[in-house]
Amino acid sequence: MTPAGPDGAASVADQLRAFLASATGRDELRHVPPGTALFGTAVGLDSLTGTLLLREIQRRFGVDVAGEDLNLDSLATLGTLAAFVAQRARPDAAGP
Amino acid sequence: MTPVPPPASVPSRTSVPDGGTVPPHETPPAADAQLSRNAVPSGDTVDVWWFGTRAVAVSPAGLAALDSGERARAEAFLFPADRHRYQVAHLMLRQVLASYTGGAPGQLTLGREPCPRCGAAGRPVLLPGPGLAPGAVPSFSLAHSGDMVVIAVAGRPVGVDTEQDAAGCVCALMQALHPADAAWLAALAERQRHEAIITCWVRAEAVLKCTGQGIGHGLGGFPVRPGRAGDLSVNGCTVVNGCTVVNGCTLHQLAAPAGYRAAVALAGGGAAAAVRVRKRP
Repeated sequence: MTPAGPDGAASVADQLRAFLASATGRDELRHVPPGTALFGTAVGLDSLTGTLLLREIQRRFGVDVAGEDLNLDSLATLGTLAAFVAQRARPDAAGP
Repeated sequence: MTPVPPPASVPSRTSVPDGGTVPPHETPPAADAQLSRNAVPSGDTVDVWWFGTRAVAVSPAGLAALDSGERARAEAFLFPADRHRYQVAHLMLRQVLASYTGGAPGQLTLGREPCPRCGAAGRPVLLPGPGLAPGAVPSFSLAHSGDMVVIAVAGRPVGVDTEQDAAGCVCALMQALHPADAAWLAALAERQRHEAIITCWVRAEAVLKCTGQGIGHGLGGFPVRPGRAGDLSVNGCTVVNGCTVVNGCTLHQLAAPAGYRAAVALAGGGAAAAVRVRKRP
């Protein structure tokens, strides 16, 4: 099942946290609040990690968030990104 | 700040431009101490400075050298470790630049050049000011990843990037690179491929930082893989004196600390640049 709706956004956010923690080897990223800006300075993600995250979202949820553009509004925070992905997630996407 | 003696050794020069270099041992200057005066590199020379962020203590007095924008960015970090890395990177950038301009680190004015493609605020630059004539302003590039900071200084546009080897699989990044590089990477054994992907990534970012075009426009518009003459002949990419020349930049792989990859790109495509490692991490 692919998550959708408000609960879906929370589940997507959890999956994104887990992915970021594993991709960077930084366990503290499992605990970032929804209001955290992912790009820019709040958690110091670089463009390589950002690109990995967007590719993983495409693979797992079937959502192309931004092409290569890391400056979109939907990417403002972990919460806005998770909500954007949850609204558009394809039922036939790869899943976790 | 405590004055320290100038670096102990003469900077090394690479003999194999694209193969990295093993510079002689140098005694690192103290973290918050003034560096000895340096001349801005001329011609095809690039100075490269490495700093390990764990080895640097940041004091409240030292932070006074940062400008209000840098202090605001530092405050925005959620985790103290990220804040520390940012503060060290920007303090050391100011220390290094001041060693070329002769001013105090806190007196330097940093600005942003417009992206040549979209006009948005792009590459950070040092602005001329009192005691710093427009012709005397060095070009620089700063990158940090994990616990490492690398700074490149040159007399003409320069871009540097470093990345820590990834904790997991990075094959998804191949789609963001040039198709010719992606095909080359896909043919490598998996472990070798992960390292080579990071190598291509830092090379592509170094070129984009050298031309001033942000990574937001994508980094797959040109091939960057290390190669021999004749290997690379797409999108104006050539190999000159062992160096990949692409987008008007000459690429050099840097010898990076264990677990990191790094590359520097210098504007111009004629001769191989001489990379001088001024400080090792």
